[in-house]
Amino acid sequence: MTRVVWLAALLLAWAGVVRAQPVPERVVSADGAVTEFVYALGQGERLVGVDTTSRYPEAVGRLPKVGYLRALPFEGVLALRPDLLLTTEEAAPERNLMRLENAGVRVVRLPVAWTLAQVRERIRRIGQTLAAEPEAERLIQNFDVRLQAVEADIRHRGASPRVLFLLVAGSHQLMVAGANTAADALLDILGADNAAGAMEGYKPASREALIATRPDAIVVAEASAGQFRVSDWPELALLDAWQRERVYVGDSMFLLGFGPRLPEALEAVNAVLAP
Amino acid sequence: MQSSRLSPRFPGQLLDPAGRLRFGASLALVVALAVVAALVSISSGAYPISVTDMLRVLAGQPGQDAAARLVLMEVRLPRFLLGFLVGAVLAVSGAILQGLFRNPLADPTLIGVSSGASLAAISVIVLGEALLGHWLHLAETWALPLAAFAGGSGTVFLAWKIARRAGQVSVATLLLAGIAINAIAMAGTGLLTFHANDEQLRSLTFWTMGSLGHAAWHDLVVAGPWLLLALLMAQTLATPLDAFLMGESVVGHLGFDTERVKRRAILVAGLGVGAAVAVSGLIGFVGLVVPHLVRQMAGASHRTLLPICALAGGSLLVAADSLARVVVAPAELPIGLMTALIGGPFFLVILLRMNVS
Repeated sequence: MTRVVWLAALLLAWAGVVRAQPVPERVVSADGAVTEFVYALGQGERLVGVDTTSRYPEAVGRLPKVGYLRALPFEGVLALRPDLLLTTEEAAPERNLMRLENAGVRVVRLPVAWTLAQVRERIRRIGQTLAAEPEAERLIQNFDVRLQAVEADIRHRGASPRVLFLLVAGSHQLMVAGANTAADALLDILGADNAAGAMEGYKPASREALIATRPDAIVVAEASAGQFRVSDWPELALLDAWQRERVYVGDSMFLLGFGPRLPEALEAVNAVLAP
Repeated sequence: MQSSRLSPRFPGQLLDPAGRLRFGASLALVVALAVVAALVSISSGAYPISVTDMLRVLAGQPGQDAAARLVLMEVRLPRFLLGFLVGAVLAVSGAILQGLFRNPLADPTLIGVSSGASLAAISVIVLGEALLGHWLHLAETWALPLAAFAGGSGTVFLAWKIARRAGQVSVATLLLAGIAINAIAMAGTGLLTFHANDEQLRSLTFWTMGSLGHAAWHDLVVAGPWLLLALLMAQTLATPLDAFLMGESVVGHLGFDTERVKRRAILVAGLGVGAAVAVSGLIGFVGLVVPHLVRQMAGASHRTLLPICALAGGSLLVAADSLARVVVAPAELPIGLMTALIGGPFFLVILLRMNVS
């Protein structure tokens, strides 16, 4: 009996320690989607720095930039005196992350989130880390409500539409999104087939291959508004999907960030999938 | 016939008093530069540290700020030492190759060190996951530098083998072989770039622009001995390289083992630059520009050129690195960008002045 009491006491003490993780007040967020989530959870005030992939919402413009998340500088991050570095598994170099931990910065690296379940899990993790669990649950609920219409569409769709997903890279280069890309994951959620699914990763598009894909719909992700001009790619305009206006052109971070705007992105793409 | 020793009783033109004065003045200047570069490098960075804290940490007393100690001792100090060694090796290798090829355009890229090292390093970045599996975490610390080192010195060795006919190395063939190997390595790099995914693409782009941003004592332990060895070996080449200035045939007539001199020069460049690239990525322009600058200042004799190049190259790289971490703080610029940005215009000024005179 006493042993059970001891054990319970120990467990309680341990739980206390876990809970006692102080609420971070100075947060550096190194990932565009993670930064968006921090703002969506109403915790933007705590950010003291972001990486260069964080470009939304506009408020991030005022924050110091610590560089690209795969080349995080040790001193630069430490100089912002953060108590938390919130980032993803993509962050690098490993050594600088280790040194930040040694310098007393808590480093939280979130796993990739390319499915709805993973995105929900990510929101929960961020909520826990920032002691904003109620906000996280509310955000997830909003997600689920918004997605109901899209999910109904998916259920009632007959054959999966074939979608060509393009990424504008520079002024005269289009990349086709193949398998194992965020674009492919987005199409997967929507129950659509990737017309370029036989390829791996993002590959430069050849004009002939574009025509050969014969997609039912086209999605174009551009880094800045107005970057994509169909006049540069006349063969796209010849495609059936283009003529029937089953085309969506949108911001790449909006479409592929898998952040809080994911439901809107899914709705936008879903709208051009319906026959 | 030929002596087997590297530098036999070569009388050597002893520096005349004016030359000695010039050497002394240049040496004093670069030593002063090195000291300034060291001070700037230790005291600049995104993390603010007060002078008193800095002195306290450097004196070994416990400072107020534990993070300041970490920044100074574990980041800035190894970064400064590594940067200085890398800069010194790049500049000295450039000087040696320019002397060996008697070509002012020669630099370590020319004999394939850099392209070979890039090909190997980028292979690790792109294929690492497939090759190393769950040992991938070793890639950043071990596999990448080792591959870069092996790739860099390996290509040089290959070029040297190709240029070797009947025990003699044709310097012209070495140069051409270097160019061809460069082209092949570039094609390989291009192929890997095509296969790379987004993250790998960014990683390899950053690697090709060079960085000292992750420098730690570990790098000094691993690469330091090679870099030092290359620097020391380089100094033994000074006298025979002076003979090279008068033409390759003169070298033999003066009693040097020509082939041995070439072999050692290639070895120094291959090992030294291979090790440098392994820990800092590709850093251009130092090997090309610094020897030219120093020649203008201290004259062409390698006995003065090489030590001054080492100090000047180290100082330049350290200064460039200090700038790289301050200009866009808290982010950092790749150092290869910095050296090209400083070195390019400098080089043009030299060219213009040479045209005038």
